[in-house]
Amino acid sequence: MGATPAVAVTGLTKHFPLITLRNLFTGTWREGVWALKEVNFELFPGEVLFILGPNGSGKTTLIKLIATLLAPTEGRISVYGFDAARFPLPVKQRLGYITCNESSFYGRLTGWHNLAFFARLHNLNPQDAIPPVVKALKLTAYLERRFYTYSTGIKRRMDIARGLLHQPDILLLDEPTTNLDPLSAAQLRQLLVQIRDQGKTMIIVTHRLEEVQKIGGRVGIMKDGRFWEVRPEGGENLEELYNRAVGGETRADS
Amino acid sequence: MQIRKVTAFLVRDLLWDLSYPFSFFWQGSSIFFNLVTFYFLGYLVSGSTVGYLSSYGGGNYFPFVLVGLALASFQGVALTSISTAIQYGMYTGTLEAMLVTPTSLSTIVFSSVLYQFTSSLLSLLLYLLFGAVLFGFSLAKANLLSAAVMLALTLLAHLPLGIFSASFLLVFKRGNPITSLVGSFSALLGGVYFPLAVLPGWLRTVSFFLPFTHALEGLRQAVLNGRSLAALTTQVAVLGIFAMVLLPLSLAVFGYAIHQAKRLGTLSQF
Repeated sequence: MGATPAVAVTGLTKHFPLITLRNLFTGTWREGVWALKEVNFELFPGEVLFILGPNGSGKTTLIKLIATLLAPTEGRISVYGFDAARFPLPVKQRLGYITCNESSFYGRLTGWHNLAFFARLHNLNPQDAIPPVVKALKLTAYLERRFYTYSTGIKRRMDIARGLLHQPDILLLDEPTTNLDPLSAAQLRQLLVQIRDQGKTMIIVTHRLEEVQKIGGRVGIMKDGRFWEVRPEGGENLEELYNRAVGGETRADS
Repeated sequence: MQIRKVTAFLVRDLLWDLSYPFSFFWQGSSIFFNLVTFYFLGYLVSGSTVGYLSSYGGGNYFPFVLVGLALASFQGVALTSISTAIQYGMYTGTLEAMLVTPTSLSTIVFSSVLYQFTSSLLSLLLYLLFGAVLFGFSLAKANLLSAAVMLALTLLAHLPLGIFSASFLLVFKRGNPITSLVGSFSALLGGVYFPLAVLPGWLRTVSFFLPFTHALEGLRQAVLNGRSLAALTTQVAVLGIFAMVLLPLSLAVFGYAIHQAKRLGTLSQF
């Protein structure tokens, strides 16, 4: 492993203050939600980290903090040594954030026009950036169709294509197989295996333990804003480990 | 680099508009029907109001109200376009998708409204064109340089109000007191439908504090009476002061709102 972690999270804490009239006037912001509490981990180039945990445990907040969409209350995130709060531009160049939110595209524009728009925001020439990515993701045939005509599976692959346009070193995925049928989910997992094999570092938030088993990687669990890493030992399966870690809670969709 | 990004927004919005093939037609027809209404209303009110309208190119109501309607639609875009762009982006998640690219929120927001400004300028010209071709509105006296300067100042004086409004939305997500208040007061007290001389004195005093009042008076004098910029120094000075005071202030507030939105997590909520 290299000396510099791809992602290093140190003492990361996030508090969402509650906006109330009293808070506005007093400026105290004491009330609110502690979404993350002292999260620490390091992820090295080429590693995959799965983040599991019940709803509301802080997984998406963690991903959004790494993606520079939120500012930490305390602590530090560094990406290849760059402090995300102080140097967001080099951090954004190394990150690909897969939002897994199909409404974050322009439904009435074609796939090509959507990707071209985001390519230009990355200061890329669409003619150079789009073809290799869509070819690898088998999306070439869909590019001239309007985005709203796509199936959910194709939309999700377009989302991944958008995240890969600038050839980032690190991919952040927030529940990538949610709302996909079993076949599309399996195809997407296969795609993620290929991306992993290209040496990309990935942080994947998921509720599906089969993703951990089929893609493979380190496993972190979050509960009530706290993060810890788990390693199944002595024949213990991941589901038992997970259930014990989160206090016996059963996942409906695993 | 910035030009490529700004172009991306212009192309995106043009393609979006073109994807609704009848939108241009309906936009044009709504302007046409609006003008027809006021054209015939002009017959009704011109006789009794000629004294009030005498300082606007000969006392006809239609040219007076046409300039008012055209500028009101332009002002509406200046007030609402930025907050509309932010609201749409927050609601759909496109804002997050843009923010993870190496593009600042300021670039995203200001580039997002360029197409709307271009489009609203075309609407304004369509008002004048329909008025001239179909309803006998005359541009013979118009001082085009003065009119162009008044439009630019209208934009600069109203844009900060749109930026304040967008800043409010960034933090509080809903509710837009600035646009509602300024828009309603401008329609009522700015003189779109009637000259300010018909208002009681105290309401005329209130209207003095609205940038729209001065913008509309300046544009009417430029278009209907052909006044030069030298004759419009009061309007130019007042709008210039509004712009010089409010623009830096609104940009500072916007910067603070972005910081707060990242802290509070409101960028990605709706």
